[in-house]
Formats: sequence, C-alpha cells, structure tokens
Amino acid sequence: MKTKIFLNVLLFLIMNALMFAQSDYETLQNFKSLYKQIEESIKNVSSVDECISISEKINNLRNEFMGSKTFLNKALYPENFESAFAKIENTLETKRTDLTQISTLTTQVGTLQTQVTELNQKNEELIKQINELMLKSERDQATITELKKLVAQLRGNINQRDLLVRDLVDSLLVEFIKSPQNLSPKESQAIMSKVNKANLFYNIERTIADNIQFTKVTQMTADDFSQMKKQYTDFDKVWKQIGPRLSSVYLNKKQKKSEIVQIDSLFIQWNAQIDGGIWRSINNLFVGKGIYLAPFNNSDLFVGNVSTFIDDEIKNLGVKSKSESEDVFHTFTDSVYNKTFAEKWLPVLIENNMMTQSQKDIIEAKIELWKKEATSSFSYWVYIITIAIILLVVVYIFQRTKKKSIKVE
Amino acid sequence: MKFIIFISTLFIVAGCTTMFLQPADFSWPVESVLKVNDHGFVSEERYTFDINVKPIFYEEFNDSNSVGGKEIRIIRDKAGHYYFTGAGFKNIYMFKSVEGGMKLEDKISISDSLALQKPAFNQKPSYVELTDGPNKYLVTGAEIVRSK
Repeated sequence: MKTKIFLNVLLFLIMNALMFAQSDYETLQNFKSLYKQIEESIKNVSSVDECISISEKINNLRNEFMGSKTFLNKALYPENFESAFAKIENTLETKRTDLTQISTLTTQVGTLQTQVTELNQKNEELIKQINELMLKSERDQATITELKKLVAQLRGNINQRDLLVRDLVDSLLVEFIKSPQNLSPKESQAIMSKVNKANLFYNIERTIADNIQFTKVTQMTADDFSQMKKQYTDFDKVWKQIGPRLSSVYLNKKQKKSEIVQIDSLFIQWNAQIDGGIWRSINNLFVGKGIYLAPFNNSDLFVGNVSTFIDDEIKNLGVKSKSESEDVFHTFTDSVYNKTFAEKWLPVLIENNMMTQSQKDIIEAKIELWKKEATSSFSYWVYIITIAIILLVVVYIFQRTKKKSIKVE
Repeated sequence: MKFIIFISTLFIVAGCTTMFLQPADFSWPVESVLKVNDHGFVSEERYTFDINVKPIFYEEFNDSNSVGGKEIRIIRDKAGHYYFTGAGFKNIYMFKSVEGGMKLEDKISISDSLALQKPAFNQKPSYVELTDGPNKYLVTGAEIVRSK
C-alpha cells in the first residue's frame, strides 16, 4: 500500500516537473504539429464519415490548447487561435461538400454505367442489321424503309450513349478538378477504382468506334456531320483535360497507359473520319449532278480543284456548244453551289475551321468571273428573248387599253 | 529684454529635449529557435533580421568555425533586450540593438560547471523564464534568479 502511494506521489512529482518544464516554444510546436496532422488528414480524407472523425479531432485540439489560447493568439502570428481553427474548419467543410457531391455522382455513375452497357448491346445489334441490309443486292422499298428506320434508331442510340459516356467522364473530371495536381497514392487508388468500376476506357473506346462505324455505314447529311463534329469537339475537350491526369495516375500501369494512348489516337481517327466523310459527301454532291472535280480531302485541294474546273470551263467556252456550257454553269452554280453547298455544307466547314472565309471568297470570285465570261458569250440571245418578251407584253397591254376605250365611247 | 531672453531660453530648451515614445512592449511571445548556417548567420523570419552569431559561439566555446547546423535560441523582453543561449551554453548573452547590429549588454552566467542541456526561453509578463529540464531561471535585465 505504502509503495503504491509512494509511486503515485513520484508520478505526480515527475508529471508536475515535466509540466512546469515545458517551454512555450514546445507548446507551440506541439500545437503546430497536431494542426498539421489534421490538415494532412483532411487532404487525404475519402469519405464523409472520415470528416466526422476529423471534426472530433479538431474539437479535441481546441479543448486541449484552450488553456494556452492567450499565448497562441500571439505566437501563431499571422493567425491567431480562433482564425487558425476557423481556417481548418472551413477546409474540412469544403472537403465534406466535395465528397457529398462526389458520392452523389458515384451513384449517378452506377446508373449511367448500366444504361451505357444496354445501349452498347443495342447499337451492336443495329449496326449488324444495317450492314446486312446494305449488303443486300436488291433493295426494295420495304428494305430501304427498314434501313432508314434502323439508321434513325442507331443515330438516336449513339447520341444517347455519347451523352451518357460524357456524363461518366464529367463525373470523373469533377473529382480531378477538386483534387490537387499531385494525387496521393490513396487518391490515385480511388480514381483507378472508379475508372475500373465504370469501365471507362472501354466505354470511351466503344463510343468513338461506334461513331466511326456510323459514318461508314450511313449516308450522313450536313446536319448529321455538324452534330457529330460538335460531339467530337466537346468530348475531345473533356478528354484533353482528363487524359493527361489519368496518365499520371496510371504512371506505372503499362496496359492502362497504352489504353490511354489508344484513346488519344481514336480521337484523332474519329476527327479524320468526320472530316473525310464531309469532304466525300461534298464530292458526291457535285458528282451527283455530273460535275467531276479532281479528288480533294481538304479545303486547299477543294478550292484549287474548283478553281481549275472553272478555269477549264471558261477556256472551253468557245470550244463546247453554248447550251452545254450554260448547262454546266447553271448546274454548278444554281443546283449545287448555291442551292446545297453554300446553304448546307459551307456553314459546317466554316464553323469547324475546315475552310476559311477568304477561301470561300476565292471560289465565289471565280464563279463571278465565270458568270461574266459565260453570259457575254450567250448574252445576245438573252437580250433578243428579253426584248421580244417586253414587246409582247407592251402590245398586249396596248390592245387591252384600246378595247376598253372603244367600249366607253 | 526679459521677454526676449525668456522666449530664447524656451526655444533652446525645447530643441534639446529628447523625444520619448512610451510605454513600449518589445517582448516576443515565444522564443525563436534558429539554425546557424555555415557562415555563422541566423535568419529570423517573423521579426525579419539576419545576424552573425559567430562571436557568441567563440565567446562560449572558443570556436567559431564549427557553428554550421547548431541551434541558438533567442527571445526579446519587454524592455527590448535580446537574450541568446543554446544547448551546451553556460551563459545567457544579453544584447541591445544598435545601428547595424547588436551590442553585448551583459553575459549572464548560469553555472560555472554545468552546461545547459535542453534550454528554452518562455516569455512571462514581467520577466523571461529560462527552463532547462527541471531547472528554471527568471531573467530580468542582467539579473538572474534560480527558481524552485
């Protein structure tokens, strides 16, 4: 019993001595160290529950150092006791809000993932059916109607799936934006787990591949291309934000890194496919009306080949028959250039920086020159016909006026 | 004539009077524990001064060459005196600020035989406290009192 009392007294004396021996500097360092630990744990927090436990730690720290509040108010310069706690509590609150948002998005991702998988299957089936119909040697009206219906369905599905995958990527992007540039191993692991869970890489690859396939199996209009180009631009923009950061997350995972490179190249391929499709459709537009331009797949070639075609036509004005020259001129300008190209395709080209305003001006100046040359060669007939029509109208009006005046008399 | 003498005296007296800004409190709330660099300098960030502390080490250890990496503890009292000490020291050095540096005011001996092991300064309302493990000393200007 005596020994126990002696030990207690000794312990009290030691504690007392230690307590009195503590320096203010040590108190400050202890506070700073515990404060820093909490700051670090806020950085690494990955769930709302962890935030609650950190909040308790903050309260404990406050209570523990409340006795030194006056000293810390001066020593924590430029902060003070209260502002230091306000700062850390704000940081925790921001993190808690972010985590709540991420948690909501994760739930959304789960739903999106299911929808994307279903659409992937449907699209696969549709592409297969369209291919079968396209391969049919004889296409009756029923086949064509069926084909159109399937293409429309596929177009709708692809758009819907693109949006869903975009949402998936966006949700991940939100997480990246909220997290610091250099992720901790724990944060990297969390991102990797989400990427795997959403089957993100596969879904992005699939989206691009289906879009490419769609351009191959269907005849797309200017509006379709315009819409797809916009989808590409938006999606590519998001990928350019997320891709490099995913690369750093998967720094040591060769297979995943190669998938990211593969997606990069798929985006390039997709863009090339859209651009190629647009130029092919424009070429078909001219060919469909019997205007044969030299092949082109960019604006420089297009402008050059159109200019050459017009130059040749101007040169041939005296060689070919007048009616033939007139036909070509009117078909080119009225039926193709003004009616379809300038109205539907040119805006798509200009909007997507595939052709410049000055290139458009070059073509239109050429057309103007062609018009002058062509009209001067057949203007004589045009004048005669016009004068004859005017004369007929004048005679007709004169006779009618004369009849009326006789009746009045 | 008397009036002119009175006015002149008043002006002369007013011109000679030293201006005082009082009261003042120069005390630091907490000591600064600074690492000495290879050139013998310490750099105080909060109160922004750099100072060469080699002479203190020379005075204390007769060696000012191996000061790089050593720690020195500094605190300023209410009156504006700077106190320097460190582990292994047997004295506290009290300085006052002068143009371009600090001037030693007093060298306060703590012990002739035992050196400080884990010294730390604490700012107290009317004095500076020096603790070294269980030992405590109260320093006021050049006076030091061992407290129990």
